[in-house]
Amino acid sequence: MDTKSRFTKIIKENEGLIYKVTTLYTNSVQDRKDLYQEIVYQLWKSFDSFNEQAKLSTWMYRVALNTAIFNLKQTKRRIQTTSIDFRTEQPSEEIDKTEEERINLLYEHIQMLNLLEKGIILLYLEGKSHEEIASIVGISISNVGTKISRIREKIKSQIIKKK
Amino acid sequence: MELEEMKNTWGELSKRVEKQEIRTNQLIEKITQKNYNSKMNIIGYSEFIGTIICYLGASYILMNFTKIDEVLIQVFAGISVALLFILPVISLKSVRAMKNISISSNTYLEIINLFGRQKIRFQKLQKLNVALGLFFMLIILPVLAAIQGKSLDQIPNFWTLIFPIFVLFFLVFSWWVLKSYNKVLSATKKMLSDINN
Repeated sequence: MDTKSRFTKIIKENEGLIYKVTTLYTNSVQDRKDLYQEIVYQLWKSFDSFNEQAKLSTWMYRVALNTAIFNLKQTKRRIQTTSIDFRTEQPSEEIDKTEEERINLLYEHIQMLNLLEKGIILLYLEGKSHEEIASIVGISISNVGTKISRIREKIKSQIIKKK
Repeated sequence: MELEEMKNTWGELSKRVEKQEIRTNQLIEKITQKNYNSKMNIIGYSEFIGTIICYLGASYILMNFTKIDEVLIQVFAGISVALLFILPVISLKSVRAMKNISISSNTYLEIINLFGRQKIRFQKLQKLNVALGLFFMLIILPVLAAIQGKSLDQIPNFWTLIFPIFVLFFLVFSWWVLKSYNKVLSATKKMLSDINN
């Protein structure tokens, strides 16, 4: 299999991963599309240097998250807390209102976090081990645990404030 | 919403994402055939075009330097040429530093810190550019007039009205720009300190 075919196969298998990163770091459909393209481009650029021995998902998450940081608009000091509108992309009959509300609430909580916490929570929700989170983010394994506890506390206080 | 609950909702979201139709094949085709323009490169193009315009302006002043008789205006012309050469170099250096960062070999935390530091440097540079740019606008007027063989005294109300208004505009605009940049700077500094604590 040539490089292009291998790359296409890997990207096709991990479209969801890239898509989820783009939804967390943008707040409009156009920005999301732009970021998606930029991530795929950065993955292609670094594909030759990607060491097959290394874990594929670690490399992909690292490139995707790092590209998202560099794609943040200069004028935006923080990403707004508006949630992603899936209605534009899903047939209306498939939308479960309660599920929609839960997803919007989830986004609201995540958008309140700072950039580092946002990356950590994304990886945590994706079911990554503390070890893998540590290697993608660049902090110690014990620090991952501490940060997740802090995030839990932060979200709790957000909920209390809202009430 | 507890973290476990968030995890379940994330699972529902993942199922939805799987149903999304993403035209990745077309995108990969475009990227691998090298006809894809990265947004990060586009920033460099505008800086590059700006540099050429500045250098053309500097060449124009240099070519017509002998037409300027007054020493003060000659000094203004010299400063203008220096600014037209230096300002784009500073901007290009900043863009190049941003481009040289490796997206794939740095960790997420390193990238956030680099991005934050670059942003602070960029904001400081922009502040300098705006201040020097406005100063340039102020001193280029008599230089251009001298090259055209006109004296500023011949322009009605130049020293009594036009020049003072220009200086006032320069001061007010600089103050406003510097104030807004300071806000962004302190927000970025706060973000970095939050992240590293």
